[in-house]
Parts: sequence; structure tokens; C-alpha cells
Amino acid sequence: MKKKPSLWKNHTFRQVLFVLAFLAIWEIVALSKIYPPLLFPDLVSILKALVESTASGEMVQRTWYSLYLILMGLGIGLLISFVMVALAMVSDIFADFMEAMVAINHPLPGVALLPITLLWFGSGEWGIIFVLVHSVVWPMMLNTYAGFRSVSRTQLEVGRNIGLRGLRLVTSVMVPAAFPYIFTGLKISWARAWRSLVAAEMIFGASGKDGGLGWLIYQRRFFLDTPGVFAALGVIILIGIVVESGLFTQLEKRTVQRWGMVVTRS
Amino acid sequence: MKLYRLLASLVLAAILLTACAPAAAPAASDAAPAPAADAPKLRIAEQFGLGYAMLTVAREQKMFEKYLPGLQVEWQTYGSGGAINEAFVAGQVDAAIMGIPPFLIGWDKGIPWKVASGVCVMPLGLQTYKDDIQSLKDFKEGDKIAYPAPGSIQHILLSMAAEKELGSPTALDDFGVAMAHPDAAAALISQKDISAHFTSPPYNFQELSAPGIRQIVDGTQAFGSDFSFLVAVASKDLYEKNPQVYAAFVLGLSDAAAFINEQPEAAAKILAPSFKLDEATTLKYLTWPGMNYTTTPYGLMGFSDFMVNAGYIKNAPKSVSDIAWYNVVSTVGEMQGETPSALEKLQYRP
Amino acid sequence: MAGRMKVEHLWVRFTGEHGEVQALEDIDFSVEPGEFITVLGPSGCGKSTLIRSIAGFQKPEKGRILVGEREVSDPGPDRLMVFQEFDQLFPWRTVLGNLTYALKVKGVAKAEREETARRFIRMVGLEGFEKAFPHQLSGGMKQRGAIARSLALNPEILLMDEPFGSLDAQTRAILQAELVRIWQDVGSTIIFITHNIQEAILLGDRVIVMGTRPGTIKKIVPVPLPRPRLPETPEFMALWHELYSQLEVHRFGENGKVESLVSGKD
Repeated sequence: MKKKPSLWKNHTFRQVLFVLAFLAIWEIVALSKIYPPLLFPDLVSILKALVESTASGEMVQRTWYSLYLILMGLGIGLLISFVMVALAMVSDIFADFMEAMVAINHPLPGVALLPITLLWFGSGEWGIIFVLVHSVVWPMMLNTYAGFRSVSRTQLEVGRNIGLRGLRLVTSVMVPAAFPYIFTGLKISWARAWRSLVAAEMIFGASGKDGGLGWLIYQRRFFLDTPGVFAALGVIILIGIVVESGLFTQLEKRTVQRWGMVVTRS
Repeated sequence: MKLYRLLASLVLAAILLTACAPAAAPAASDAAPAPAADAPKLRIAEQFGLGYAMLTVAREQKMFEKYLPGLQVEWQTYGSGGAINEAFVAGQVDAAIMGIPPFLIGWDKGIPWKVASGVCVMPLGLQTYKDDIQSLKDFKEGDKIAYPAPGSIQHILLSMAAEKELGSPTALDDFGVAMAHPDAAAALISQKDISAHFTSPPYNFQELSAPGIRQIVDGTQAFGSDFSFLVAVASKDLYEKNPQVYAAFVLGLSDAAAFINEQPEAAAKILAPSFKLDEATTLKYLTWPGMNYTTTPYGLMGFSDFMVNAGYIKNAPKSVSDIAWYNVVSTVGEMQGETPSALEKLQYRP
Repeated sequence: MAGRMKVEHLWVRFTGEHGEVQALEDIDFSVEPGEFITVLGPSGCGKSTLIRSIAGFQKPEKGRILVGEREVSDPGPDRLMVFQEFDQLFPWRTVLGNLTYALKVKGVAKAEREETARRFIRMVGLEGFEKAFPHQLSGGMKQRGAIARSLALNPEILLMDEPFGSLDAQTRAILQAELVRIWQDVGSTIIFITHNIQEAILLGDRVIVMGTRPGTIKKIVPVPLPRPRLPETPEFMALWHELYSQLEVHRFGENGKVESLVSGKD
């Protein structure tokens, strides 16, 4: 007996259903008052906190500031890694130096650098950006370098054959050919930076004006505003979903998948 | 079949969710069996600084055990009053010494606790090394004012000063930066990163002993009169279910306060190692003008009025008995007639 | 079309994995405009080095290569190479995009690019696949695409380095026939490398037979057979045996495919 593909077979439908189920259970547990509301606020109060902080402009401002920080961190990190990789492609000695630096720094979580950062940069914007750059630059270098190294000799020769030279050869052949690797680096970098950012803001105690979502959580925590903490967590999750499942997945579909360029190394 | 699978998943999710939620809710805390059979137990939360001297003295001199032999005291150190709030919510502590504002934040949110004793009156203040900062009006873009945490007594006193001098309690919030006392004091003394630091003893004493650092806001002036820098708080469970432990805690604190005031040299000797200072400096700090270890609370109601008006908390206590246990209520007393007593007046801002 | 191409006393030496290798020794021949030359030799005879030298990818030790009056020093779109590898089309561009991009690099006006590209795609029999990405094509179609891209740029010489070497026998036979047809249409000069005797006879006006270690020209054999050529004819068979006797054959497999005992790629 062959059935029509039911809604239940749809992955997205199932996932949405599970999220709804999770929220329903959350609400039941919260309303049952097994745990005090200070520990386990109900959804209505979380939603209220979200609406209030959005209406007052605070949530928007904090979110925007967090995004500004991460864009700065990503931008500077990408720039540094491209320059480093370019030098490594030119010089074997520099390549060894770069690989040694990556080997040393890559396993080091950005948050672990916070005490040092506080000494070097003080609290505030540049300290956080330093931590973000650290979390971006090593995976980006590793992947970009691997990507450039993986560019097929044939494609490079085709490029030179049709008349491409120098920078034009790099931007027209090497960068797109290495793009799957660069893209993987970008995804890892974003994930690391986003996690470091929230942690850094909370531990750093960024100043009141220059504070993002991490600082918002930190503040809410001190005023025992648990729904407010959860509201900020919700925004963090939402941004994560929008960027990772939305932006990156779409970009991947339009580029790497469309071009059939699969990175064999993860 | 489908329904069965969905149901199974939901049940699984429910179990996970319940299991993941904080294990020790306050409601369940007294049900937890004590390790040594029936030995009475007291879990105290403290922080760093001269304000906690009474706890150190009481611990070293076994002053709590004096009133309840066999008492097991468990000491827990936290970085801020906010962290102590969380420990109470999670049911990890029975009693704590903390600033009145973080206590009020917890009380406002429904933590079942009240003030069990005053601890100390001390000079707090805002220090700076910048020549161009003479008053709160002089802070400008790029300046940072450090205090331990949002909602801390230092933050609230700064807000009070901002209300008086600048007309709005939140006028300086944009300059605020949360830093632990030792980090901020080190930064201020080396004149980098922060412009000013609102802090408490011994950090303000250290800062004022360094060259080029001045006080621009005095905590007592911001509040309007003397206030308790720290109070001792105890949970409802401790007060109602373990009255002997509660009594030992309150009386031990009284002994410690008297000891420090009566024998500062002996106290300095006990305290010096834990502050990592020499005895002479410790004694100098203990006897600094404005220091007073007293179990009588000052300014209990003054903070709550301000915090309600500024929007930091929603509920205002109507009387001292709303936020203090009976031994404190009875200390303050209640003068019959139109004119309140001096101690009653002392609980409010002038 | 353009002038004749001359290879004058070409010596090539390079450092390989096992030290210095004299790859080519005193190679000397010329190619008339519009001529179809096949270069036949066993693995390791340096035939790839020869064609890479003509393309400009390999610097000579002594001697020179002239295209018309110009001496070859660099790769350029006047001598386009079709490689054996299937990845020579840029995977991030469609078939049409690969052609129009090459035309753009060459400096062809925007209005002309698409029309030219479509004409050559039609010529190699890829109509209907203009919008396909290379990963969606079979190996034979990819090679057709690469040939179309090279022809579209209107080179003076088309260099083909065993372009059908990785294809199955049937596809190879079809492409051989079509290459001859296209060459007759376009009239370009072709130098075609192969280690397959039959392929050398089927395609070439003349066959340059090379010997190994170091690579030298053993003989240049004209193919006077009319096209289309059929391998079963006695003339073809006679020529096959003549070429076969010229090669240093240690053993041979099916289909006249000559293999050297010396392992490794040429």
C-alpha cells in the first residue's frame, strides 16, 4: 500500500513540531511551579521581557552593537588571514612560520585569552575585538591556505593560458577555486566568534554604552531578571539560526553545492 | 504508530527538560540530608574586602561554634552580591553578608530572606586620577567608571550622586563598566583603561594612598547620611526551621563586631594574612576614620525608596519588618507617637 | 591564417624528484599553418614537456620556439592548451560562462561574446548544456567544452595534450571523428599528443615519433591517407606497423596501446 508522502515525513515540519513540543513542555513545567519562577520563568513573561526590551530600543541597540563587534572582528580577522596566506603562498619560510603559529594558537579558546587581553587592551571594545580576531584568524588561515594549496594546477594553467596574470589570476581563479575551503573557514570563524563574543562581553564587563547582548545578559542577571536573560538568549539563538541555517545554507546552495565543489577535508 | 512515536519523543523531551533544570531548588534544599548525621550546618556566602572582617574574625575565633557547639560552618566566597543572589535562588547558601541593594533586588524578586544583622558602616567613594575631572559633570565620551557590578551598592550610590548632581539617576550609566575591585584598583592606580572607580575599603584606601588619586564623590554624602555598607541576611528556612543556628550566626557576628572595635590590634593580626597585607596597614585600615563595625543597621529603608523611584526594583518594603527579621526589628524599635526615634529615622535618607 | 610554427634545436632540462632530467634533446621541426600534427611516443619520452614548452609553461634550456615571427616566452591565448584532465573547465562557471569569460579576458566586446560562445558550443555538440555547470557533465562533454573554449579564442595553434586519454574507447572514437570535422571547418593548426598509434594515424597529417631518455625525434612520418580514415584498410595497417617498429616497444596491450616498462607518468 503506497501512501502519499505525509506531512510527518517532512523534516522541516518535524523539526518545527519538536520545537513547539519543547516550548509546550517548558510552559507546562513553568506553570506547574515545580521550580520557582526566578529559576524557570514561563514563556509569557519571557515574551513580555522580549517585547518590552525591544520596544524600549535596548534589545535592538545591544544586538546591533554585538553585530557591529562581530563584523569588525570578522573583517579584521579575514584581512589578516588573507595577507598572511598571501605571504605564505609566496614564501616557503613564511608558510612554515604561519603553520607553526596556527598550530600553537588554533587550539586556544578565545575566552582563555581574556585575562591577557585585559592587560594588553583594557576592558571595552578593542579587547573584545582582539578576542574575536583571535577566534577568526586561525581557522580562516588554516582553511584559506589549504584552499589555495588545493587549487588544481590545470585550472591555474588554463588561467595563465587564456591570459590571466598576477592579482587577476588570484581573484579570478585561485579565490573561486579555493572558495569551498574559504567558505568552510568562514563558517567555523563565525561560529567561534559568535560564541566568544557573548562570553567575552559577559566576562569583560563591557562598559554600559559599549555593551552588546552578553552585557545585557550580565546586567539582567545582576537584577535577577531571569525572563530578561532568557529573552536575550532567545535573540542570540535567533541570530545564530538566521546566520547559520539561513545565510550560510543559502550561500552554500548557491555556490559550493551549485558548482559541485565539495570539500573532501572537513 | 506515528502518534506513539510523537508521544515517546515528547516524554523523552520532558524528562530531559526536567532533569536539566537546576537540581537544587530552594524548596528542596532542607530535604537534602546533612553529611554528618544531625550536625547543625550553616552555609555562609561572603565576598572580598574589609567589610567581611567580622566573618574572618568569627571563623578564626570560632565565635559561631561558641553558641552552638558542633556547628558545621561551610564558607563560600562569591565575586558579587548578584552572584550571592543566584546562590540563594539555587538554594546553595543559608546566610550571607552583602550590600543592601543586591539584597533588595533579590527580595523584590521574591527570594525568601531578610536582614539578620547590620555588619558595618564604612566610607565608600568614587576616586579618579584625572585632573580634568572635578565632579560628575566632567565625565565625557570615552571615560569609564568602574564598579563591581550593575545593582551593586557602589552602582546605586553612584546613581544617587548622579541624581543629586546631574538630575537623573541613570545619567552616568553609559560610563559604567563592571570590574572586580582588585582589577579596577590596579587599573586606577596605574592610571590606565578606566577614569574612575567607585569602591569600598580597603580598595579606596589603597587608591587614596597612591599619588595623584582623589576622591570626587563621598558615599555618605551621596546617600545623605551614614548607611550600612554591608548587612547580614538569612533565609526564611534558616530563621524558621533552624532557630539555634540562626541565633548562633547573629550572636557570633555581635561578638566579632565587638572584638574588632575593642581590640583592633588583635583583629589586625588575625586579618592581615587573609587580606595579604602587613599588620600595620591592616590596623591603619581598620581604624581609618569612618570605620564602624556595628550590628545595628543604618539606612535599610533609604536604599529601597531610591531604588523603586529609579526603577531598579518594583516593590517597596512598607516597614523595616518587611525586610528584617525580628532581632533587627526590635533593635530599631518603634517609638509611639508622631516623632520617630533616632534609630528609626536612621533607616531612611534624610 | 598565421605563419608557420618552428621548434628550433630545443633542449629542455629540469629538476625532477630523482635529480636532473634531460627531458628533451635537440628537438627540431616546423608546422605549417592549418596542419594537424600528432606527436606519438611512449610514457616518459618528453612529449608532454614538448607541448608544455610550446604552450610556454616550460622554459627551454637551449633553442627556441617561434610562432610566426614571435619567440615563445610565456603562456598566451595564441597557443591554447587542451589538457587531459577533466577539471579544466572552471567549476564555478556554466559552460557558456566558461566561454564568455575567456572571451572577456581576451578583450572581445561584450555584445559578441555570447554569440561566439554559443556558436562554438554548437560546433562541439554541446547545445542544450549552455547553462549546465561542469560537474553536471560527463568526461567526454567536459572535454568538448574545453575544446570549444579553446577554439572560441581563435588561437593560432591548438595544443592538445592527450585530451581523450581518460575517456572510454567509444567516446574517444566519436570525439576523434568530431575533432577532425571541426578542424576541417575551422582550419586551425593543431599539435596533438598521444601514445596511441591508431589515434596518431587517424588524426594527423604527419606523425612525429619520439624516443625516450632523453626525448628525441626519431622520425617524422607523413600520413598520406584520405580522410575519413578507416583502421581496417591495408594502407592504415602498413602505416601502423611502420610506426610500431619505430617505437621502443617493450610490451604492448590491446588496441595497439603502447606501454613502457618504465613506470610513472609522462
